[in-house]
Amino acid sequence: MKEAPKVSTQTKPAKSRDTRNTGPGRLLIAVYAVFAISATARAGYQIATKFAEAPLAHLLSAFAAVVYLVATVSLAKPGRTWFKVSLAAVLVELVGVIVVGAFSLFDPVAFPHDTVWSLFGRGYGFVPLVLPVLGLLWLNKRRPGKADPASANAQ
Amino acid sequence: MDGYFYAVLAVGLISTVTCIVAGLMKKAPNDVTILSVAAVELVLLVYLVGSIIRVIAGERIAGEAWEFWGYLATALMLPLGAVYWSILERTRWSNFVLAAVGVTALVMAARMNQIWY
Repeated sequence: MKEAPKVSTQTKPAKSRDTRNTGPGRLLIAVYAVFAISATARAGYQIATKFAEAPLAHLLSAFAAVVYLVATVSLAKPGRTWFKVSLAAVLVELVGVIVVGAFSLFDPVAFPHDTVWSLFGRGYGFVPLVLPVLGLLWLNKRRPGKADPASANAQ
Repeated sequence: MDGYFYAVLAVGLISTVTCIVAGLMKKAPNDVTILSVAAVELVLLVYLVGSIIRVIAGERIAGEAWEFWGYLATALMLPLGAVYWSILERTRWSNFVLAAVGVTALVMAARMNQIWY
């Protein structure tokens, strides 16, 4: 799980600012990695065994798995492009958990099969709901070009 | 819930609390926190050996067998991945990464128990 992201920023202190893969970001990436694995395993299991029962819910599971995978990898990578990929992935995740959560609440018939995002991620201790918020906060804190009081003095 | 689950529960909770406290004390991962995660791995290995013996002895897994072994294999990789990830950058945040192992392992052990019985 955690071996997937290759850390290349460690040996390049010059680019150390433009990375999300440090401090609390590493905890965030670890949690995303756990969700990438569990969502992938769950979607794979559902599609392999009972896809025909509820194609939409199971495709949604697969979509959620892809979003978590993209978020995990992009958060671990340095540079502006990966920042944008992270931002997109986390925003899609936030919209996904809210929309799917609302649909599963108001129209349980349409969502008979649980996905990671059903009922706002209740099956996962509501972590899927909190995770994108923390992700956005972290991305804002580490956005490229943002003035950094700590390193401004050093440079 | 069987003895294996309660063993993972106890060791997992102790490990998680230990790592959280170390993180709150702004310590980097040290022998205590890494060994607590190693203890989780050890209990999971005992679970693995015990489960293999039970299957050989003729006990039947009620749920999907491959799902059970999938969970167990993934759980066994968690402590290794977390320790690897935490020592790449040794800050207090890495202790929170280690703290995630114990709770994740106990949730997975609960699911493994559901599949078995």
